[in-house]
Amino acid sequence: MNDSRYGPKTGESTWLWFTKIVTGLLVIVILIIHFIVNHFTAQNGLLTYADVVKYYQNPIVPIMEIAFLVFVVSHALIGLRGIVLDLKPTRAVIGAVNWLFSAVGVVAIVYGIWLVLTIVSRGASS
Amino acid sequence: MTGVSKTSPLSRAAKWFDPRARTISTIGFILNRITALGLSFYLFLHLIMLGQLAQGPQAYDGFLATVHSPIFVFGEVLVIAAGFIHGLNGIRIALNSFGVGARYQKATFLVLLSIAVICSLIFAVRIFTV
Repeated sequence: MNDSRYGPKTGESTWLWFTKIVTGLLVIVILIIHFIVNHFTAQNGLLTYADVVKYYQNPIVPIMEIAFLVFVVSHALIGLRGIVLDLKPTRAVIGAVNWLFSAVGVVAIVYGIWLVLTIVSRGASS
Repeated sequence: MTGVSKTSPLSRAAKWFDPRARTISTIGFILNRITALGLSFYLFLHLIMLGQLAQGPQAYDGFLATVHSPIFVFGEVLVIAAGFIHGLNGIRIALNSFGVGARYQKATFLVLLSIAVICSLIFAVRIFTV
């Protein structure tokens, strides 16, 4: 019996499975860094637009947020693909899912980076 | 697990949520999956809603006022609880996958789930009282 709880699933390459584990752990690491940085640079919380723009002037924040974005989007989409694989999709369906999820991943990451850079530039111009 | 290929995707999906004849490990698997779906939904919603920042101060501060209502705060508690459950259980799965502590996976799961529940309760109490 193929125990799908551990190791790559049927149809999931070893490197995708490995990427899922590594990005999962990196998400946890960055979440911990995020809470530490947030605690030291924004002690009253990020409760207004102005607070957020000011928070993004610390260079570690945009770097951290972009890394977090890439890791969490990758982890989520590989994980969702794994859930689709458990439904025993036909080759055509998983092929479409591969394209769809890749496109969603690229759009989400490009959009997220654009948003981070927009917020950084708002602080620089004020 | 006989005859899986003959059942429809819907009935296979429904099996995830069937609590009958479940072992502790399977409950862990189901919990990880439900939290995965919830967190994925939240992730994309969060990315879209943060787009309000690009609209300027009025849009973003107005958005923040909306999400400070109790229903959204309750949703935030669900996200935090899902994050604790998925994250802590995920560390166990990563370790078990490489053969670390696989013999004690049931005990580890119960300990980590308890930690997740306690942390979520502390968070819930604080967010509704502070």
